[in-house]
Amino acid sequence: MSPPRQSRYDAIVIGAGANGLVAAHYLARAGKRVLVVEQRESLEAGLDVGWVPAQVVRELQLDQHGFRLEQPDPWVSVSLDGAGGLQLWREMSKSVEAIRRISPADAAQWPEFCERMRTLASVLEKLYLAPPPDIETRNPRELARIGGLGLFVRRLGKQAVIDLARILPMSIADLLDEWFESDILKGVLGAVGVWHLKQGPRSGGTAFNFLHHHVGCALGVFRPPQSNLREALAAAGGVGGRSGPEMMFNNEAALRLASDGRAAGVTLLQRREQIDAPLVVSSESPRAALSSLGLHLDPEFVRALDHIKCRGVVAHARLSAEYAARVRNRCVAPSLEYLERAYDDSKYGRDSHRPYVETDGAGRVHIQYVPFTDQQRDVQSLRTLGSSVADALGVPAGALTIETPDDLEREYNLTEGHLYHGELTLDQILFMRPVPGWSRYRTPIEGLYLCGSGTHPGGGIPGAAGRNAAREIL
Amino acid sequence: MPKRYDVIVIGGGHNGLVTAAYLARAGKKVLVLERRPRVGGAAVTEEIFPGFKFSMFSYVVSLLRPEIIRDLDLPRHGLHILPLESTVTPMENGDYLAAWADHDDTRRELYRHSPRDAEAYDEYGHLMHFMAQAVKPILGMVPPDPTSFAPGDLAALFRLGKHFRGLGAERLHALVKLMTMSSADFLDEWFETDVLKATKSASGIIGTFLGPRSPGTAYVLLHHYMGELDGVFRAWGFAKGGTGALSESIASAARAFGAEIRCDAGVAKVLLRGRRATGVVLENGDEIAASIVVSSLDPRRTFLQLLEPSHLPPDFVADIKRFKFRGSSGKVNLALDGLPTFTCMPDGAGGKLHRGAVSISPSLDYVERAYDDAKYGEFSRRPYMDIVFPSMIDPGMAPPGKHVMSIFVQYAPYHLNGGWTDAQREAFGDAVVNTVESFAPGFKSKILHRQVITPVDIERITGLSEGNIFAGELALQQLFFLRPAPGWAKFATPIRGFYQCGSGTHPGGGIMGASGRLAAMRILKDGK
Amino acid sequence: MSLRTTPFHARTGPLSEGQAWRRWAGYVVASSYELSHDREYHAIRNSAALFDVSPLYKYLVTGRDAARLLDHVVTRNVGKAKVGQVLYTPWCDADGKQIDDGTISVLDERTFRMTAADPNLRWLHLNSSGLEVALEDVSERTAALSLQGPNSRAILQLAAERDLSGLKYFRLTPAKIRGIPVTISRTGYTGDLGYEIWVEAAQAVPLWDAVFETGTAYGITPAGMLALDVARIEAGLLLIEVDYFSSRHAFIEAQKSSPLELGLGWTVATDKERYNGKDALDAERLRGPTWQFTGLTVDWDSLEQLYAQVGLPPRLPTQAWRMSVPIYDPGGRQVGYATSGGWSPLLKKYLALAHLESSSAAPGTQLRMEVTVEHRRKQATAHVTPLPFFNPERKRA
Repeated sequence: MSPPRQSRYDAIVIGAGANGLVAAHYLARAGKRVLVVEQRESLEAGLDVGWVPAQVVRELQLDQHGFRLEQPDPWVSVSLDGAGGLQLWREMSKSVEAIRRISPADAAQWPEFCERMRTLASVLEKLYLAPPPDIETRNPRELARIGGLGLFVRRLGKQAVIDLARILPMSIADLLDEWFESDILKGVLGAVGVWHLKQGPRSGGTAFNFLHHHVGCALGVFRPPQSNLREALAAAGGVGGRSGPEMMFNNEAALRLASDGRAAGVTLLQRREQIDAPLVVSSESPRAALSSLGLHLDPEFVRALDHIKCRGVVAHARLSAEYAARVRNRCVAPSLEYLERAYDDSKYGRDSHRPYVETDGAGRVHIQYVPFTDQQRDVQSLRTLGSSVADALGVPAGALTIETPDDLEREYNLTEGHLYHGELTLDQILFMRPVPGWSRYRTPIEGLYLCGSGTHPGGGIPGAAGRNAAREIL
Repeated sequence: MPKRYDVIVIGGGHNGLVTAAYLARAGKKVLVLERRPRVGGAAVTEEIFPGFKFSMFSYVVSLLRPEIIRDLDLPRHGLHILPLESTVTPMENGDYLAAWADHDDTRRELYRHSPRDAEAYDEYGHLMHFMAQAVKPILGMVPPDPTSFAPGDLAALFRLGKHFRGLGAERLHALVKLMTMSSADFLDEWFETDVLKATKSASGIIGTFLGPRSPGTAYVLLHHYMGELDGVFRAWGFAKGGTGALSESIASAARAFGAEIRCDAGVAKVLLRGRRATGVVLENGDEIAASIVVSSLDPRRTFLQLLEPSHLPPDFVADIKRFKFRGSSGKVNLALDGLPTFTCMPDGAGGKLHRGAVSISPSLDYVERAYDDAKYGEFSRRPYMDIVFPSMIDPGMAPPGKHVMSIFVQYAPYHLNGGWTDAQREAFGDAVVNTVESFAPGFKSKILHRQVITPVDIERITGLSEGNIFAGELALQQLFFLRPAPGWAKFATPIRGFYQCGSGTHPGGGIMGASGRLAAMRILKDGK
Repeated sequence: MSLRTTPFHARTGPLSEGQAWRRWAGYVVASSYELSHDREYHAIRNSAALFDVSPLYKYLVTGRDAARLLDHVVTRNVGKAKVGQVLYTPWCDADGKQIDDGTISVLDERTFRMTAADPNLRWLHLNSSGLEVALEDVSERTAALSLQGPNSRAILQLAAERDLSGLKYFRLTPAKIRGIPVTISRTGYTGDLGYEIWVEAAQAVPLWDAVFETGTAYGITPAGMLALDVARIEAGLLLIEVDYFSSRHAFIEAQKSSPLELGLGWTVATDKERYNGKDALDAERLRGPTWQFTGLTVDWDSLEQLYAQVGLPPRLPTQAWRMSVPIYDPGGRQVGYATSGGWSPLLKKYLALAHLESSSAAPGTQLRMEVTVEHRRKQATAHVTPLPFFNPERKRA
């Protein structure tokens, strides 16, 4: 793409991830001249994991630009020692049938469990499509909105209110133990509860994380869909006659401040060129976006930024094409104890001796726990990790290319290699995300907004933070 | 002609006695029925070895509500709480971390480990003081039911919302953090000294089946600051004569108000007529009638043992069955020929070391590893321990020159792999004694007698299910309007005339007596 | 355990006749050396008093961004200060509420020594993110003496064997006293001619001896905190935790004060772009502070009358007091509270330092202060007096 002619924009978005692009499109749709600056050479390849709210698809008319969802069926499969496997399907009755083969009792529980979880996820969906409730507000409109949310929950019934209060702080292990007996089933479900957390399935709050990753999923499906969101956004030009955002790749942008401390635009570091805009929207992690501003920030705010828990524990790998097709949507988490022990290693700074491993339909592998170290990783430890992942999947080690959280930080500027820019723990969600008191996408720097996964509603919901942020800005 | 009672209280633990005393004070004819030969439940003092008195289970008085002490005039009935002033944490490198009674001393000691932590400590204390102030009204209120549309519940919910908003943003955020974070993460935001975080986080895991890195443990950090609000000099105290003396003083107050207390009188069942309690039947078959029956037993025994599940709504039974206990702690009580000498502080700081607590929590990893063992069904090979020498504070606890040593030990899981046997109990006792020996060489040779108490023993002797010292885990999903079950957190039960008043109800936990007091208030209110 | 003693304790200990000690920042210092502090007070105003002020917190701030850090923290303009200057300054939180006050000595372009009443290392650290600056707590390493009074210069000139008349008020200079390297600053907490001498703790005792022996002929008198307290009230100097609460320690908003409310408006720079609390202080300056911190002189006749009513001559406090005393307007409405007060033996006046609502704080305003006369609460008339009460020319000359 050719460099833009103008050097004056209404808004500059830093980072062409899903949230950055979505925010840019919403701003452009509202008539703003928007420039997106991305440090990488091109859009990152691959699909976006997670629920893309229907509003985003509709409002940005993504259907017209080739937007598609990948919803594999079966959505997960486990290979059992000797005895075939467990596969869970999009169709309830097929899953029930599959579960019945390992536990009739669990099969009987399955439909109700799915219903209850779906109801709770619907509450989260409602919460995620708007900025987090401002619990300190005196503004009647905001109060009315909070009241409305409360009423919405109450209308779901007494059970939903109790479940919400009871389940969110629970551990996924406790939750699953209440429902099921099969280690295999609990392993498959429990794994989602620890996604991107430096916690094990017995840690409180993992039930919330489980529900977080259930938003946007169909009843009875506990793996988020994948989509070509970024691809579709890149293809989409303007909406409703307005021009779309301009894109500028291969440029690292740093926020530039005016003398009065407001955002004034960005400086393109490589070109030493300044681009002006009264509005800068960063999709970087909050710490990456703000911590260089030291003296412009209240020390207590800096302290809060430093304290965002953001401990990367997930490594990614790519399977060679030959094997990608063989181990689709394969989950290796044979029990909650397996997951818990995998976590134990990470507590003491080690890679899981026997990691939780899961593949998607396109050869991407999720490996947990591989803690961010900030130190030079020795070749041997990487080799050990590679062979334990390969063993888990039953593929040769040569079929894998692994990126550790350390690599992710280096390559993608992800703080501590954490994909979500901040763990989704109960103390870091809603009005506590990214830092308490600054959950409305604003920052102490006037004119600088955040729109990345580090803000509400967090990672795994591509576009939701971007949409909320853009709407808040407008 | 058998005597008629207004109220029967099942169980003479401290909460049962508090309820009885308050009801008797209000003029009710009250009978307390205790299964064991003495009152106290888990707060008993027994002379297990001649001349040596042990606070068998519960050993510190942390949070006994001052209004109870005042209302029941407990000092007149023999209660005297002596402060435990300091905590020394020996480290594995031979150094130590101490928190002394004097602020300047503590500051200087912390400064030795980290100048920044010494400053942070004051600010941390300041914040926790506020947080304790924020939480205190909640401990003292009957939890509203958020699913109910009753005007009383709505009003209470509204008041609660107002209370929280009144705290201001900063404190509200801190409260959310305290309620949801792990103590290790919470302390990480304040301090850099590992041993300081370890010893502080240890207080967050007491009685739970959680490690310092498990979310939900930060909340308990607050407890240390609760006492300050009540004008108590130190939050942690020791009852003269052991915790049994505390129970005795409440019993004495209850009797003075006219309550009758019968020991060796275990209750088998609650008698019902329809959906109404009419009295109890004792294990010996005697029936005693009363218009109100109150159980201070834990929820599992209250609802699944004293009643037939068929008398209760099935959802409620399911909730109670789901209520988690998972006892995780044990106790080792020792009679000693003399005081042990700790390597880290050979002079014992002129007696101060032994007059305070010694915390075996040398590092966060140490405590976390102790938890790892328990997670997979083993007792900790090197456990976290909270050690006190009651005879140093109250000389009456041991013969002159001799001492008793109380060791609270975590983790000892109730569900031990292979189950608890005599051999396992002794192996557990050995692990405890050997770990202490590693910090205080020569200590083992001073042991005259050893009593090892496992969670199974706690359950057998005191009746606390799975040996959980809080009569049910103090986890966020088991607190407030969820304790013990949604819809039934207001001391009433689905059976008319049958109430609950034990630690398994809000606010629960520790020798606080708040549950017993709130239950009595509720009963008196209902009776009007 | 016991409280820590200062590096001068080998000398101050034996001098203490009544073993009257008090705590200061975890150390013990003398309340008074003699059984009564009267003579110590008069030494401050008449000859020379020697104080051990070692317990002050002292931080060395060094590095390329040292001045930037300090400028971000404190309200005065550090960047404009010259080498050899000492600044008295408060510092605030983001809401413009005062955290602490102290001095900053500019030792060279990249080296500053900060003194504080409370520990502030953590606060400095929190503010230093991204800056090239080193922070060192030198509180224990550095001992300090304060020599205050009309004869202080003569004594110090002899001891340091050099002319100090060129050393202006709030300036410092390196010097040697009997071969001991020291820094001498013309500062103090008495509002009189005076100096503070900063030295490595290891050299503390020989320094004491040198100053004390030189000063004997000039009436040098070791003095304690009681005498100092009287002098600092006369000088109208604030004391943290007495006259104001650190915003970090305050339990409620009402306990916090801004420098503008504490009579420290002159220390709040108007020519700095950014520092903690700037926005709040700018706004407050614009609308005018709600409170003023000012002097109050109790009218002698009124006090005499109140006592005469019960048949007694006026009773005066024997020491400066530190408590909260209500102040009323003539109509009986409470308009403020005094936080320190006492009898000035020099001025022969009963003085107090008070927080007053701005509308009642104009000099000369007639008010009433609560006094307890024979167990009964009364109100003595008092009038607002600008600070300082006592400001001798020699202080700056």
